[in-house]
Amino acid sequence: MSIWNYVVTAHKPTNVTHSCVGNFTSPQELNLIIAKCTRIEIHLLTPQGLQPMLDVPIYGRIATLELFRPHGEAQDFLFIATERYKFCVLQWDPESSELITRAMGDVSDRIGRPTDNGQIGIIDPDCRLIGLHLYDGLFKVIPFDNRGQLKEAFNIRLEELQVLDIKFLYGCSKPTIVVLYQDNKDARHVKTYEVALKDKDFVEGPWSQNNLDNGADLLIPVPPPLCGVLIIGEETIVYCSANAFKAIPIRPSITKAYGRVDADGSRYLLGDHAGLLNLLVVTHEKEKVTGLKIEPLGETSIASTISYLDNAFVYIGSSYGDSQLVKLNLQPDSKGSYVEVLERYVNLGPIVDFCVVDLERQGQGQVVTCSGAYKDGSLRIVRNGIGINEQASVELQGIKGMWSLRSSTDDPFDTFLVVSFISETRILAMNLEDELEETEIEGFCPQVQTLFCHDAVYNQLVQVTSSSVRLVSSTSRELRNEWHAPAGYSVNVATANATQVLLATGGGHLVYLEIGDGILTEVKHAQLEYEISCLDINPIGENPNYSHLAAVGMWTDISVRIFSLPDLNLITKEHLGGEIIPRSVLLCSFEGISYLLCALGDGHLLNFLLNTNTGEITNRKKVSLGTQPITLRTFSSKNTTHVFAASDRPTVIYSSNKKLLYSNVNLKEVSHMCPFNSAAFPDSLAIAKEGELTIGTIDDIQKLHIRSIPLGEHARRICHQEQSRTFAICSLKYNQSSSEESEMHFIRLLDDQTFEFISTYPLDTFEYGCSILSCSFSDDSNVYYCVGTAYVLPEENEPTKGRILVFIVEDGKLQLIAEKETKGAVYSLNAFNGKLLAAINQKIQLYKWMLRDDGTHELQSECGHHGHILALYVQTRGDFIVVGDLMKSISLLIYKHEEGAIEERARDYNANWMSAVEILDDDIYLGAENNFNLFTVRKNSEGATDEERGRLEVVGEYHLGEFVNRFRHGSLVMRLPDSDVGQIPTVIFGTVNGVIGVIASLPHEQYVFLEKLQSNLRKVIKGVGGLNHEQWRSFNNEKKTVDARNFLDGDLIESFLDLNRNKMDEISKVIGVSVEELCKRVEELTRLH
Amino acid sequence: MEGSSSEPSGTNPSASGASKFLANLPSRGLFSANVITSNPGGMRVYICDRDTSPPEDQHIKTNQQNILIRSLTLRKQKGDSSSKDRVEGSRKRASEKVLDSRASTKRTNNQINSRQEASTSQASNREFQGLTVERLRALLRGKGLSSKGRKDELIARLKGANS
Repeated sequence: MSIWNYVVTAHKPTNVTHSCVGNFTSPQELNLIIAKCTRIEIHLLTPQGLQPMLDVPIYGRIATLELFRPHGEAQDFLFIATERYKFCVLQWDPESSELITRAMGDVSDRIGRPTDNGQIGIIDPDCRLIGLHLYDGLFKVIPFDNRGQLKEAFNIRLEELQVLDIKFLYGCSKPTIVVLYQDNKDARHVKTYEVALKDKDFVEGPWSQNNLDNGADLLIPVPPPLCGVLIIGEETIVYCSANAFKAIPIRPSITKAYGRVDADGSRYLLGDHAGLLNLLVVTHEKEKVTGLKIEPLGETSIASTISYLDNAFVYIGSSYGDSQLVKLNLQPDSKGSYVEVLERYVNLGPIVDFCVVDLERQGQGQVVTCSGAYKDGSLRIVRNGIGINEQASVELQGIKGMWSLRSSTDDPFDTFLVVSFISETRILAMNLEDELEETEIEGFCPQVQTLFCHDAVYNQLVQVTSSSVRLVSSTSRELRNEWHAPAGYSVNVATANATQVLLATGGGHLVYLEIGDGILTEVKHAQLEYEISCLDINPIGENPNYSHLAAVGMWTDISVRIFSLPDLNLITKEHLGGEIIPRSVLLCSFEGISYLLCALGDGHLLNFLLNTNTGEITNRKKVSLGTQPITLRTFSSKNTTHVFAASDRPTVIYSSNKKLLYSNVNLKEVSHMCPFNSAAFPDSLAIAKEGELTIGTIDDIQKLHIRSIPLGEHARRICHQEQSRTFAICSLKYNQSSSEESEMHFIRLLDDQTFEFISTYPLDTFEYGCSILSCSFSDDSNVYYCVGTAYVLPEENEPTKGRILVFIVEDGKLQLIAEKETKGAVYSLNAFNGKLLAAINQKIQLYKWMLRDDGTHELQSECGHHGHILALYVQTRGDFIVVGDLMKSISLLIYKHEEGAIEERARDYNANWMSAVEILDDDIYLGAENNFNLFTVRKNSEGATDEERGRLEVVGEYHLGEFVNRFRHGSLVMRLPDSDVGQIPTVIFGTVNGVIGVIASLPHEQYVFLEKLQSNLRKVIKGVGGLNHEQWRSFNNEKKTVDARNFLDGDLIESFLDLNRNKMDEISKVIGVSVEELCKRVEELTRLH
Repeated sequence: MEGSSSEPSGTNPSASGASKFLANLPSRGLFSANVITSNPGGMRVYICDRDTSPPEDQHIKTNQQNILIRSLTLRKQKGDSSSKDRVEGSRKRASEKVLDSRASTKRTNNQINSRQEASTSQASNREFQGLTVERLRALLRGKGLSSKGRKDELIARLKGANS
């Protein structure tokens, strides 16, 4: 790999951190707005449910999100503050469907200690000011003027240093905040302050309340007429106002989120840490609160945000499991739950660990993640591309073409499958037992190769062979009419639809026939100057049986032409350039846009926009799908039409957001495909590949396919073992008995196909599984699972004891065969030169696998290396060991065989707190740290002095905005050795927000080119809310902020493809590269993930 | 939101658990279809190719004046205008009044001059503090002095020019 890296998101963040409901897109429309860390999603509430509208990337990690309505406005504005101290106020412009920045600014202070308990951003209910608590001891105020414009912000000193929550109170003549805080004796109190805007200071508020529940950490302001505030603790809930105080005890729980149900604040939904949803009722007589009641409703995912939508529907946003749409039923179900989960929205976060495997052995990586936490823990199998699920298959060699036919025009299902070979045509049909068996259609000519078949109107079938076109009744199956090719000419290529046949004979003759009831009429003949290579008359106009246009691909001049039908007049001619002839053309229509697709003999695909009225073709784009000739065919799945491109790298072409997308199919080489929608196999495809005919169904058409395996416990480490075809995980299960909570840790073995637990090894009390590895040792052919553990005792700050356990899988069981005690937590295990390398607290330790006299094995310590704070992440390559330290960045060690010693070779002297490391190549190492940055360091072997050689030079820096938990070499897509993209090495990463990303090392030339593109895109694609891309991607930690270098933002670069043509032209002009070339190069990059 | 403020009529013992509290949940007619469908795919990704900078005056910055100094100056002004127990009186107006009343006794050509002269009085410092930076700059410009620098420097310069 190289130092020039390209970072791109394969799976967007799915961790829902905030949500709110309001009239954002129009005064009449109600919206749900969801924040997923670096993105916001806008949904529309409709009588039919949630309708997604827009997915908006934000150049920042969203810290707070609020909807508010300034004076005199008809619809709500959105206030967003980011963790890097930027804020913006957005307004939706319904006319242009754009987000308008009403205000933005920087709210950072030069001096100040960032708050420990997260940033707080709140808006006065009467819209007099925005309040921010970003630094301990400071409360920032951004006042509104009476026209709703924001004014200069100022800070107010806040005496309380350990603030847990701040909210604005309703119904106060002056803006009043209520502050929940902890004093230096760890007691918790609330206090109110009025904000005196003129004096820019606080004035003591109307009331305060001391000595609350020790676990109180959430305030809920109650709207008028009741006013006051609810203080949610772990054991009590208190209602407090100037003249009332009510408290109720609750079952011990930590409330994570709340959602207000009624506008008057009489009912609230509370979600706790165990995923239980409770209803809090504020009983009141007129404006006087008489008491509180809490009722459990049922279980959901562990909520991070709750939004009451409408009509008893509630959105539960979750950080630890799937987000949900639930309905609150008036009557409980059989289990006593009032909560009915109607929809789950996949969330991969937090990805704690993952591994890249090829379970189907097709040369394509799949990512298996440890996702979710607590009870919502799960494994997720993430696969790129579209899967074909095989239903049936037969061995058949030498298939030259396939078509499906119906037994009558009105039949919704296909009956016959015509399979053509070099010198014969066979017909398969479904028999009564729903089996595929060979049959005959008397009117068809079976002794020759079929060039084309189609259903025709009036219960007829059409077969085109090299000598004739045969029209056959589909009911009597007898020949009704035949058109013969003129003597001396044979038909080379042909195509047909329900009423038309177009064929080409040698010598460039193009013949157009129309199909009548029992009659074939030659309507038109045209003589072209060259031979014809391919044809299409797929109807895409209003009439599904008749096309007004014909697409023709030509030899010799390498062009594609559009002819009008029935008169065969040439409308458009487009030279394709190059020397590769078009092998397949297709007229098709996606999402109301018509395209001409043209596949070349070398695996390239050109697409054009087609004007169906004039026949003009524009906006040529070129992509490379494979290396072999492509055959294009449409098929439909779930009532949407897609195109299947059969080649050495079969691809499904589909459209999303009016953009063509290309998704790989999990098959190796497909020569022909035809849709075969039979009664027994509805919506299936017949696929000819490598001497085999397969009938299969297709997955949902989407780029990434995710399968969930709920575990009910929290998986923290995962590893795959090829030989035993198993996964092993370290997991922990929380037991919530009524009296106390406990956790149990396990090593579990799972089958790699069914994902069922097949064996479990329970760890000791207080023993955590920290690392897991599948490896073998020198002089021993067995493959083992090695597990590193730590005893986490409540009285210890750092574990001082741990174990390394060595298991073998025998008969599907985990058998412990060796065990070694360690003097600390085994944070990492690596296979190293046939030995085992462990990171144990401050130390790197190498163990040999020794055979004892009695034939058993043991781990024997060989050597070690001290000198880390905590060696958390270790990767090895050859004799080199790269260590990611808790707080001392990356260091490089080397194992010296002769001396049997590990020595430090070099280190990065920055104080980065690491979260993951990976070795890119011999000299370049990649690290992720806890301020959401990525960086690369380079070994300096050529340094003149020891001092220089001992220093790892930082060569790349980038702000990812995501907390990376793991890097792994591998790829999500199938690699073609001879494509450009196939040569690019990649690393996959998984993050807390559920992002799966790819880091690709580019050749220098490509990097320079893309860097130029990126800097031009920055000028064209603006950050929402006026946030700046360059600032967002700048490396940032407590000590420094520097511009990103040697990393490119693939998400920005790939959004080039979403630009409209004018903007593309603009960029193309500046860079001096044609739009077609730019599109091709960027599209190639999209195929990395 | 209609139907939302219903006080749960919670005395029916037969209604078990939360049922009685779940009645009359707010509804505006959304999510009312029998089959609630949602279409998680097909969400358009927003690519913004228009200018997103906010209106000129809505680029918000934080007042950099030290909180302590600010509160001291504010308190001083307060002390100054404490004789007037007006609640809504703007400080700026109050200070201008002070100035104007003093200036009125003198022969003046224009307002700026009146302020300059007024500022020569003993309480000049306090009064300058009560003026906005803009005003101070205008005064300096009127005197042909540099209007650059922080407020304290501006005041010092003005005082220097007046003494």
